[in-house]
Amino acid sequence: MSSSPTSRLLFDDPGPRARRRIRITTAGTLLAGAALVALALRQFAENGQLAAERWEPFGTWPMWRYLLDGLWSTAQAAAVAIALAMAGGIVLALGRTSSSRWLRWPAAAYVEVVRTIPALLLVYVVLFALPRYGVNMPLFWKLVVPLAVSNAAAFAEIFRAGIRSVERGQLEAGLAVGLTRGRAMRLIVLPQAARRVLPSLVSQSAGLLKDTSLGYVVSYAELLYSGKVLANYNHLLIQTYLIVALIYLVVNATLSKIARTLEARQRARPVRAVRDAAPGAPAVKTS
Amino acid sequence: MNVITDHLSEFGDGLLLTVELTLLALAGALAAGIVVAAMRVSPVRVLRAAGMAYVETLQNIPLLVWLVIAVFGLPEIGVMAGLFTSAVVVIALYQGAYMAEAIRSGINAVPAGQGEAARALGLTFVQSLRLVVLPQALRTAIQPLGTIAIMTLMNTAMAAAVGVVELTAAANRVNLAEAQPIYIFVTAGLLYMALSAVFGLVTGALERKLAILR
Amino acid sequence: MVRFPAGMRRAAVAAVAALTLTGLAACGDSSDPAVPGAGGGTTDDLLASAPVAENLPAGSAMAKIKERGELLVGGSLDAPLLSQQNPVSGEVEGLDADFGKLLAKYIIGEPKVKIVNSASETREALISNGTVDVVLQTYSITPERAEKVAFAGPYYSSGLVIATKADETGIKSPADLNGKTVIAGANTPAIPAIEKAAPDAKIVTFGSDPECVQALKQGRGVAYVQDQAVLLATAKQDTSIKIQGEPFTTDPYGIGLKHGDEQFKTFVNDWLREIQKSGLWAKVWKNSIGTVVEGEAPEPPAIGSVPGS
Repeated sequence: MSSSPTSRLLFDDPGPRARRRIRITTAGTLLAGAALVALALRQFAENGQLAAERWEPFGTWPMWRYLLDGLWSTAQAAAVAIALAMAGGIVLALGRTSSSRWLRWPAAAYVEVVRTIPALLLVYVVLFALPRYGVNMPLFWKLVVPLAVSNAAAFAEIFRAGIRSVERGQLEAGLAVGLTRGRAMRLIVLPQAARRVLPSLVSQSAGLLKDTSLGYVVSYAELLYSGKVLANYNHLLIQTYLIVALIYLVVNATLSKIARTLEARQRARPVRAVRDAAPGAPAVKTS
Repeated sequence: MNVITDHLSEFGDGLLLTVELTLLALAGALAAGIVVAAMRVSPVRVLRAAGMAYVETLQNIPLLVWLVIAVFGLPEIGVMAGLFTSAVVVIALYQGAYMAEAIRSGINAVPAGQGEAARALGLTFVQSLRLVVLPQALRTAIQPLGTIAIMTLMNTAMAAAVGVVELTAAANRVNLAEAQPIYIFVTAGLLYMALSAVFGLVTGALERKLAILR
Repeated sequence: MVRFPAGMRRAAVAAVAALTLTGLAACGDSSDPAVPGAGGGTTDDLLASAPVAENLPAGSAMAKIKERGELLVGGSLDAPLLSQQNPVSGEVEGLDADFGKLLAKYIIGEPKVKIVNSASETREALISNGTVDVVLQTYSITPERAEKVAFAGPYYSSGLVIATKADETGIKSPADLNGKTVIAGANTPAIPAIEKAAPDAKIVTFGSDPECVQALKQGRGVAYVQDQAVLLATAKQDTSIKIQGEPFTTDPYGIGLKHGDEQFKTFVNDWLREIQKSGLWAKVWKNSIGTVVEGEAPEPPAIGSVPGS
């Protein structure tokens, strides 16, 4: 990362004076950072939050086993929600790019409506509204269904960007050799589109994984809710949530590293990678 | 529809709080985003690393976890802030990471000649960033920033989980009292859609006026 | 996936070794002495002496449960002293949880319970569509609810109390909460109760009991309203928190059953009377709430004594 294209833009190779200024800024930054951390740690310790007995329980396996069980539930919920949302996204994207307005309009309406409604509101609908009308799903689905509904719209936009990026000639060539429109889409356009938007798909999926923390509201025992139950048991609220945050960080950092590797590999290929609406940011919404 | 008219004040207060949360958080996020993006393109390696660490840490932990940690953890390091303030700051810092990435892409899209010209005039790093590169970068980044604005609006709902009675929490409370979920949640949904539409219009207008097509 | 520091890894190895040595995961062997209700491990003793029903009527709800070999209970995992999961053993402990196990033994012959974690707003639906057999979750008997579910019991009578910081002197009764900020658990019965008893109080909600306690200590509200049993446990181990006055509501907890199943209701009520008479009820109390409250178990409430039961 030392010589990204940006460094060409904003500064040249530093001369002696610039090198001195850089050294001074470096030292200043490090000092300020260290002072801030030290201050926070001191306050934290003064409030007794660093006391050994408040951290010792996390040196025992059962605590970790409990939280890792939660992480496993997070993974399950995320996997199912991602699968459903992607399937829904493909259908919606095909709808929006279809030649029939009877397919185009409903698909567009779904995407435009759903992408402006918070996932938490959908969760509340599933929790508190649907049971009154006889729809009472198991907790797992109460978390997965609203996440899939909401993320399907985001995936639809990603797939649509991918489909639009495939040159029209590809589809026309398919039609010319006698394929139906559906088969041409499935065999020629979609595979190319999916490959081009792969990085966006991965980052949207990572966002969905973070959304499963809404299990905290649903009381589905994913990682954050497991942390809540654990904190109730050991009365170590802050320590427990800090550990939970650490687990999320490790897992998601690994996933985003994978996404970056995919993106880099794609850039090396001749196929042009499509970046969706917001370069570097997910297409529609993640939380 | 009586449930809505009977609880207009709750919905109104919730809506107002959601708007306040969103606008304040967006302002904070833009500031944080600019600072972090500047750090990530600076010649000082430590600043670049710090900027990268900021983006990675903020983006890889769910917002809900950040909110819970901030509300209960910050008082333990001597920072005692109200629930609303805590929520604004956390959402601003969280969205700031996304803003930073969008702005950085915008900076990368500025032609290298612009930077070289700025340096040829004798501008320092900060000057060339502030006077030449950033104005162009922000104008390129209007559309992604608009997307992040809507994402911020959606994410203010998370503040409901830490006791801020914004629109989603208000709807939930009215429903607990009245048990008329369809009317109540549909109303809340329509209000969110209306707010998003306003953001969309503003972004569109800004883009028509300012965007640079490359 | 997660790398443990060397010290932690050693501790984990030691913990695993210790567990292996003591045989089954000894649930009393918690590393944290501050945990209420986790000590003793007397649930096993309770269960050993628990009664088992003789010949269940064919085709009844009880016979179906016995055939399945598992009692499906709607409950919580995060209510200390009542129904709290112990992460060490995986067992759910507390008053409600113990009653669930005893009922399972009475019906099936073995204390086989599966707790279905239920968000507190959907319990009527859980029972009516058969997701659970019974609900044991601080489920207050009210005539309105009794139109949708049948209630056996009451099996325990509790109430909401007000907790404040220990140095607070201005709050003695619910009326003192008017004009002040009051903390309550999200979606708990405390919210309507506060609105009724102190209409001018500002209510702020948090997701769990420790969060509410932390919020109270950090001054995000001057008082915290919660079930008496839960707050007793908190005040017992945290001297910076104090309970002010007596409970200002009466919440008779019932066992929720399918509406209209009189046979099951009579069956559960008979079982409750039997364990009350045999002293098992008092032992359950001692094993949970009795770990934080001094003295002998209170007189259990009379079965069918409240409207709706």
